[in-house]
Amino acid sequence: MDLAYTTRQQAFRQEVREWLAAHVPAERLVTLERQDGFDQHVAWERELASGNWGMVTWPSEYGGRGLDLIEWLIFEEEYWAAGAPLRANQNGIFLLGPTIMEFGSDEQKARFLPPMAKGEVIWAQAWSEPGAGSDMAAIKATARREGDHYVINGQKTWSSRASFADWGFGLFRTEEGSQRHKGLSFLLFDLNAPGITRRPIRQLHGDPGFAELFFDEVRVPVENRIAGEGEGWKVAMATAGFERGLMLRSPGRFQATAARLMALLRETADRASPGLREEVVRLWMGAQAYAYNTYQVAARIMAGGSIGAEASLNKIFWSELDRAMHRAAMHLLGPAAELQTLPDGRANEWLEGYIFSLSGPIYAGSNEIQRNITAERLLGLPRVGAG
Amino acid sequence: MDFRLPPESVELAEAVREYLGGTHGPDVLRQLDAGGNRDLRIWQGLVEMGLTGLLVPESEGGLGMTLLDGALIARECGRACLAEPLVDTALVAVPWLIARGETGHLAAIAAGEKLVALPHAVNPWVADGEGEELASVDPLRNLVAAPEGAGDDPLLLDLGALMSAAQLVGLAEAMLDQAVAYAKVREQFGHPIGGFQAIKHKLADVAVVLEFVRPVLWRAAQAMDDGLPSAPLHVSHAKYAATDAAYLAAESAIQVHGAMGYTYEVDLHFWMKRAWALSGAWGDRNFHYHRIEDAALGGAHPLGPQHTFA
Repeated sequence: MDLAYTTRQQAFRQEVREWLAAHVPAERLVTLERQDGFDQHVAWERELASGNWGMVTWPSEYGGRGLDLIEWLIFEEEYWAAGAPLRANQNGIFLLGPTIMEFGSDEQKARFLPPMAKGEVIWAQAWSEPGAGSDMAAIKATARREGDHYVINGQKTWSSRASFADWGFGLFRTEEGSQRHKGLSFLLFDLNAPGITRRPIRQLHGDPGFAELFFDEVRVPVENRIAGEGEGWKVAMATAGFERGLMLRSPGRFQATAARLMALLRETADRASPGLREEVVRLWMGAQAYAYNTYQVAARIMAGGSIGAEASLNKIFWSELDRAMHRAAMHLLGPAAELQTLPDGRANEWLEGYIFSLSGPIYAGSNEIQRNITAERLLGLPRVGAG
Repeated sequence: MDFRLPPESVELAEAVREYLGGTHGPDVLRQLDAGGNRDLRIWQGLVEMGLTGLLVPESEGGLGMTLLDGALIARECGRACLAEPLVDTALVAVPWLIARGETGHLAAIAAGEKLVALPHAVNPWVADGEGEELASVDPLRNLVAAPEGAGDDPLLLDLGALMSAAQLVGLAEAMLDQAVAYAKVREQFGHPIGGFQAIKHKLADVAVVLEFVRPVLWRAAQAMDDGLPSAPLHVSHAKYAATDAAYLAAESAIQVHGAMGYTYEVDLHFWMKRAWALSGAWGDRNFHYHRIEDAALGGAHPLGPQHTFA
């Protein structure tokens, strides 16, 4: 075990920090759940790409820097500490990108990855359907093969970024009459293709962050299928592993939140009850623990290991930590918690963050499902009934 | 930067786990409880494994290993609910004596001929010491009242707290294992109770907590090995978090066992009582909380993601 950064890693941190200091917008961007804010965030993606920071772990031919996971963690730490904007292309770079890297053909990698890293194509996920939420294998949307195309019909929902994004990815039933996990294929589609209707859904905060998608005879070329026909479930599970596992929520984000929470506690120390004070310190400890765990997982992956069902433990931990940190901030803010703009003129980022944090235990597989996975696959408890 | 436990350290810990699992099961705890509390044959087995000399330098007949190795072994002692005073002598007293340059007894300790029970101002008792006996809730714990004027050496405190935290992690892991094993075989409503989500989610919560305590423990041990000025903060974090994990594991395990869990017949109580005892040893939850708050909130320890390994 070696818990010191190398000189090279320290120099890299410095390089990231300097670039961010010179480029992170001074003005906070409008929320990316609205068209104007989304456009600002896409512009930021392109700014990142201009510095070759789109996705540092990818090979250079796909727009990356070929760096390792430790360097990615350092990049993320600096990114969030600098108060840089949310990543509009998160679904692309953290979920679909690694999936294409693992399962895509060389042609697909060359076609989809560079525009993703450059922020030229923004991706939306399309997993859930009205009848397939936690039970994702209940997917009904079909993709009928006609020569060198699939013809998609059906409906997707809770599709993050789909109100404004360019392309989407999801699972479709390519084998007529197939059941559950069988007969599904992983398809990429142009959200502007004829036959797709997007219906933005207003989220809790009032902005249309996600959307319903309606597919009516939408033609998708066969070359947009990742991996083999009928192998969609396997591919999607790998994507879900990336989502719950290492990439979706790097520890730097929660540590930055924890540091801001500690600062808020100092500002409001005269109001905070001893219990709230201890809660905040505990949450800071939680963010530290999450970082240690992630460095441990990263080291294991770099040594050829993998992340399996432990990804469920991760997802439970960070999503509930994030919610608890923002809840504590709401209590510290007290009567100001409800204000959209704080008395000192700053936007109430804690309120916005608390609302967003409520989605964490729900999306990417609800935490109830993650607890089932933990109990069944890690602890070996039996399955009874549906699940 | 490589946050992996050294493979050879893990192998040794696994060998110790296997040995204790085979020779130090619940039946042994019951025999000890029925009379004596200590058994020279168990101690001799630990000596033959080399565990009394784990941290003793090779020049003194030991294995010369690190505190991280020591923490891995202390976790196994917790998992087995080991009653012999191996941790206090070999994993707490030895590194403290080495740091003070007091090497005179190290060879005898490594050979298993000498036990060292160190008093500390933070503890109102001495475990396996000599003096007026005190009764612990843990039937296998031998306590005596602390002598007047015990010192408050900070390194000794950190060593004791680190190794207590490691034992608490092992105890919590063992209690989770016992609850899982019981939930698989106990049937109600025609199913093993472990198939019900109320039970699954309770035990999953323990698994989550443990997953995020272990790296805190390793980080604390490594910080002590590296002699970081921030080591006391990391040790306190480990002790505080391990205490909460052990209480959660104990309460969850007894709940899953139902009325059986409330009996002396089921093994669980040995682990639970050891956890209660060690939670208060070498600085209780309040003590370690205040050290953490002072460092993290007081400003001595820099915050923010770039300081994770400071």
